[in-house]
Amino acid sequence: MAPTEKQSKQSMAVLQGTLDMLILRTLLYGPAHGHQIGKYIQRTTNDFLQMQHGSLYPALHRLEQRGWVSAKWETAPDRNREFKYYRLTEKGRKQLMVEESQWKQMMEAVARVMWPAAEEG
Amino acid sequence: MRWWQIRGRDADLERELRADLELEEEEQRERGLPSEESRYAARRALGNTVLIKEQTHEVWGWAPLERLWQDLRYALRQLRRSPGFASVCLITLALGIGANTAMFSVVQGVILAPLPFPEANRLMFLWEKRPSVPQLDVSYPNFEDWEKSTRSFDSMSALAFHNFDLTAPGRAEHLMGIRASYGFLRTLGVQPAAGRDFAASEDQANAAPVVLISDRLWRERFASDPRLVGRSVDLDGKSFTVIGVLPPEFHFLADADVITPLRPNLPLILTDRSVEALAVLARLKLGVTKDQAEAEVNTIQQELDRQYPDANRSIAVTATSLLQEILGDVRGTIVLLFGAVGLVLLIACANLANLLLARSTARAREFGVRAALGASRGRMVRQLLTESVVLSVAGGALGVLLAGFGLHALLAVLPHSLPRTGNIGLHIPVLLFTGGASIAVGILFGLAPALRCASTDVQGALQSASRGTTTGRHRLLGRLVVVQFALTLVLMTGAGLLLRSVRNLWHVNPGFNMRHVISFRVGLSPSFTNTPDRTRTAYQQLLARIREVPGVEAADLTNIVLLSGGDNGGPFWIGTRQPATLQEAPHALYFWTGPDYPKTMGLPLLQGRFFTPGDRIGTDKVVVIDSVLANRFFPNQNPVGQTLTVAHWGAARIVGVVGHVHNWGLDDPGTYLPQQIYIPAYQLPDSMVTDFFRTLTVIVRSALPPGELMPAIRNVVFTSGPDQPVYEVKTIDEVVSESMATRNIAILLLGVFAGLALLLSSVGIYGVVSYSVMRRTQEIGIRMALGADRSRVFRMIVGQGIGMAGAGLGFGVLAAIALVRLLPSFSHLLYGVGQIDPLTLFCVSVGLLLVAVAACLLPASRAMRTDPMWALRTE
Repeated sequence: MAPTEKQSKQSMAVLQGTLDMLILRTLLYGPAHGHQIGKYIQRTTNDFLQMQHGSLYPALHRLEQRGWVSAKWETAPDRNREFKYYRLTEKGRKQLMVEESQWKQMMEAVARVMWPAAEEG
Repeated sequence: MRWWQIRGRDADLERELRADLELEEEEQRERGLPSEESRYAARRALGNTVLIKEQTHEVWGWAPLERLWQDLRYALRQLRRSPGFASVCLITLALGIGANTAMFSVVQGVILAPLPFPEANRLMFLWEKRPSVPQLDVSYPNFEDWEKSTRSFDSMSALAFHNFDLTAPGRAEHLMGIRASYGFLRTLGVQPAAGRDFAASEDQANAAPVVLISDRLWRERFASDPRLVGRSVDLDGKSFTVIGVLPPEFHFLADADVITPLRPNLPLILTDRSVEALAVLARLKLGVTKDQAEAEVNTIQQELDRQYPDANRSIAVTATSLLQEILGDVRGTIVLLFGAVGLVLLIACANLANLLLARSTARAREFGVRAALGASRGRMVRQLLTESVVLSVAGGALGVLLAGFGLHALLAVLPHSLPRTGNIGLHIPVLLFTGGASIAVGILFGLAPALRCASTDVQGALQSASRGTTTGRHRLLGRLVVVQFALTLVLMTGAGLLLRSVRNLWHVNPGFNMRHVISFRVGLSPSFTNTPDRTRTAYQQLLARIREVPGVEAADLTNIVLLSGGDNGGPFWIGTRQPATLQEAPHALYFWTGPDYPKTMGLPLLQGRFFTPGDRIGTDKVVVIDSVLANRFFPNQNPVGQTLTVAHWGAARIVGVVGHVHNWGLDDPGTYLPQQIYIPAYQLPDSMVTDFFRTLTVIVRSALPPGELMPAIRNVVFTSGPDQPVYEVKTIDEVVSESMATRNIAILLLGVFAGLALLLSSVGIYGVVSYSVMRRTQEIGIRMALGADRSRVFRMIVGQGIGMAGAGLGFGVLAAIALVRLLPSFSHLLYGVGQIDPLTLFCVSVGLLLVAVAACLLPASRAMRTDPMWALRTE
């Protein structure tokens, strides 16, 4: 299902704030290159977050700059070609925990406002 | 990341994107898409790679600098590609910025550069003033009382300027000097380079004479003799011990070579509260303002007025800063000219904006493509501004070169009377100013075209590349021409008004004959002037010998060379009964002179007689008055034979009336000391003779040029005594030119600026009209196809130019009228023309209109020759 324009705008906005976190989380499973990360996020969210892969690269480079991921050219097992593989660093692991807890806090806060009855019940 | 890693990083990113793109493509193919389509699909999936790269660069943190570098390279490439456009811009900018740089270096050197004294902003002069006279010298007793009682100042010192004749050791030389009370150097904050300052005990009436000399004198006259301090020199026939040498950078008002203590050398004025003869220099205490200090001294002076009502009545005190005193009127003129040259730069900016706007039409397609490819508006504006700033900075660099030449020429014509010209040069602050101004100018003239260009409608631009949206652009072009013409009219009106003033001034009758008069001074040998009688005889003999020189028609002495700023006024009254106070008595300008004065100066004798050789010391005192005094004090009666008393000299019989002369410049408004009294120099009392005769000037009437006459006169002077310097040789014509120097330099520069403005705005209107003819080829073709004849087309184009110019002239006239009123520094340069001068405004307007028409002729005739068929087909 192709996303509507409205949907894609929404998802972009959500992405802006959470892309870093999603990338870090994805890398928890092991090293991956840009294409894999993009595909993985897209697949896991049932195409809701169907992004142009392009927007990943500035984010990846930002994470690398901050030392949360490291990058290395490695040969892919199935393609026999080199790809740039990103790997979560120890610092990145900690950052992921921080972002995750912040995200949870915010979700809870939003939920309390949006569905107060559920909270009471 | 460091900036030098960016290149490597960039290659890495490129490789990464390519790898992922290929992978995506493979996957699409594996899904069964044909290879061509899979490539497109992969690209769509990845997105705009240029944008990705830019955003990633942003992450690396060097993006702004990278963009700047990219813009710079792009701008240079653009300029290289259109050398004609670039050179027109560069020449315009070089002229505009060059003129501004040269003018700013004058502003910087003369007005802004600090004076060579520590914390010079705390230095000021104190003056007396009366309700009728805004600024007067100070009497010594008043100064002493101020010095004793004030608390606003660290120190103060009373000064009298005096020119000394240095006669030994070596040849005779005439030197400018200052007699200063104790504390002069301390007030300025200057230490002698060698020796010491004089002590308080040396500024006492009977102290041994001591002197401080300038570095120049020490080097040139005494060959930098390190043992000079302690030796003696002869000044005005008296032996002085040199106690110190001033530092080389010491320059104070008139460049003094000699400084002596005041009290031992001017004993006559120390006790007389009514002799106002001193300038008072003072250094403010830290934290005290000029106004506070002025108020304090005024309170003290009010008390002195009460204590000494005879000499002091309604005297107030006014303070002027040292810089203000040094600059005088010059400051206003310089600021005015700097404003004028700024207008020239604005006109140049309008031209450049015109050029860029016209060019932006040609580049509409380029920017349409860029916008379509995803360039943001801000990004395009930034790039266009980079282009215009690159232009203006390059123009500024050329301008500095031009300013170097211009300044050289300017310094050659600047009057000697202009203070601090030695400071003028292309120094660091000037270059900083030029750099800043260049960048500002680039943004100023680039902004409108850049905004317009960047907001081009993408579709329209791509569809009809050469059309674009021209109407709005066109209106802006027209407005720029209007502004140019308004500014040009303002500058030309200014130049015109000054020109008329100077013309009026040259036609002023100053009351005497300015042609063929030479003035010079002689330092008579001290051996001839050691008694009053010998002094009188020596000067009489000197004049007798000068009169015998071939070519000399007449010669005499005077204390005031007319029009040179000489001031020697004082109170007088009719009859012998002294008024209650001297301040209340009328004041007149005193001329101390001899029998041949009217013949030498061409002064008309209206009634009675002038002096004769018989009017000398011991005979009855006589005076001659001018027509103004005669009309004011002896209306309807004959003044000849009446008695008039000159304060400090005595009662005298009026023996004649002469015409009134202009002393305070050709533009003398006759408000300050309008009455004039002539007193025989040889009737001066013994006590004053030696000092006074030394200050007199010889005037000679001769048709010979000074170059031919003066050697013979020098010869005559030297044969009577080899230690007698002849100096300050000037013709009255030169004196008059000097008195007009500020005006002349203003008119010269304003004329040059107005000329530049005229040139630039005629180029501007030519460009805009040509451009519009080019744009309207099709329209003109249609008009002609529909039956408009050629003359009609011609009129239409010329009419468009006249419309723009006319609007500009309308605004310009209003602006010129307002500015002349608002700028006293300009209106005080005017003479004999009203602030609103219809003749000047009319001539300038008509002239500018003619220029506008002339500039439109070429494009209009081009339009007239348009072939309708060709015009319609080419579209």
